[in-house]
Amino acid sequence: MRVVLAVVASLLTGCATTATPSYNAADVMFLQMLVPQNQQGIEIVRLAAARPVPPGLKELAAAIEVTQQTEIDDMRRWLREWNQPETVAPQAHAGHGGMKTTAPDLVGALRTVPDGEFPRRFLDVLTGQQQGAVELAQTENGPGGGVNAQARDLARRVIESRTAEVKQLLNTKT
Amino acid sequence: MTWKRKLFAAAAGALFAPVLVVVLPATSASAHGYVSDPPSRQANCAAGKVSGCGSIVYEPQSVEGPKGLRSCNGGLSQFAELTDESKPWPAKPVGTTVTFNWVFTARHSTSNYEYYVGGTRVAVFAGNNQQPPPTLSHTVNLAGYSGRIKVLAIWNIADTANAFYSCVDLQVGGGGTPPPTTTPPPTTTPPPTTTTTTPPTGGTWAAGTAYKAGDVVTYGGASYRCIQPHTAIAGWEPPNTPALWQRQ
Repeated sequence: MRVVLAVVASLLTGCATTATPSYNAADVMFLQMLVPQNQQGIEIVRLAAARPVPPGLKELAAAIEVTQQTEIDDMRRWLREWNQPETVAPQAHAGHGGMKTTAPDLVGALRTVPDGEFPRRFLDVLTGQQQGAVELAQTENGPGGGVNAQARDLARRVIESRTAEVKQLLNTKT
Repeated sequence: MTWKRKLFAAAAGALFAPVLVVVLPATSASAHGYVSDPPSRQANCAAGKVSGCGSIVYEPQSVEGPKGLRSCNGGLSQFAELTDESKPWPAKPVGTTVTFNWVFTARHSTSNYEYYVGGTRVAVFAGNNQQPPPTLSHTVNLAGYSGRIKVLAIWNIADTANAFYSCVDLQVGGGGTPPPTTTPPPTTTPPPTTTTTTPPTGGTWAAGTAYKAGDVVTYGGASYRCIQPHTAIAGWEPPNTPALWQRQ
């Protein structure tokens, strides 16, 4: 009987431990907002491949594309593990500063910019796009933000990498 | 804002007016933006061309304050560095016609854009209470100015009481049009020091290093081979970037 009780107790303890929330609404919101932010960033950097931009910028754009795809894969997996949808209605994020993604017409507008103007426009659009991701990550790691260790580590990496990317973008001569 | 909040704000304003000025912008609109080229002070900070800038390097787009200010930091104490005239702000050499380019992280309906030199408004562009276009630049005539000047570019938001501020240091007559013979040579901005270095064979991964495919590094006790050329940055550590690094 004592043994049974001990087993039950340990099971209950175990349950209590696993029931401790490993994520909160802020974590979910962060991932749901960063997935489309990253997707649009990928759309933007892909535009550089066929344009006359400096080789260093082309290399940075290609690296941004693949690193952000890895982040998207991770975020989708976490949301699945948490049984959370990948997307919610954009209005649901209004109280959190709204969706940080650039309006869709931005990508279309960049696509039609003449080659001569492209580098300057590309730099400014991509800089704004990446700084929007920093804003999302600062919310995740700020007061009242997320609690999930993986999501918070991702937010740290987003802040560091995007800030360093912006540094390279702002140092690119056009 | 409900009447209760208005009442509280009014009371708080009366009691803690200086504090309120600092707090309000941080809680308002999601719109953000700044002048990227010629580089504004916050752009020079984010580009690493000026050091000791504080937190502005993470958010050069956030210099937001009440409309009508003439300061470089939007009245925000956390961005006081932007008003520090003793800092070595680079002044881009320009002709008398200058095109200012903006970066936005959110495009908010706009009242107008203003450009000031000292107390003089040298240009204004209507925003028509609409979102800024996908990309935005303004061409401003600075005829009558020469030498080093500080331009304050202001983005006035239509549906909030706030504006975004960018101070842009310029050396007028230093480029674009040939300077008069009487003008001393312009102080040119030194090119940014490149942070890329050649990787030591089998060395430890380091941010700022330009890696090419096939380079091998160690990180956290493991060995990784570069599979896509890139310049390493913080946040792109090999274990987190399997698209750039293959663990050996």
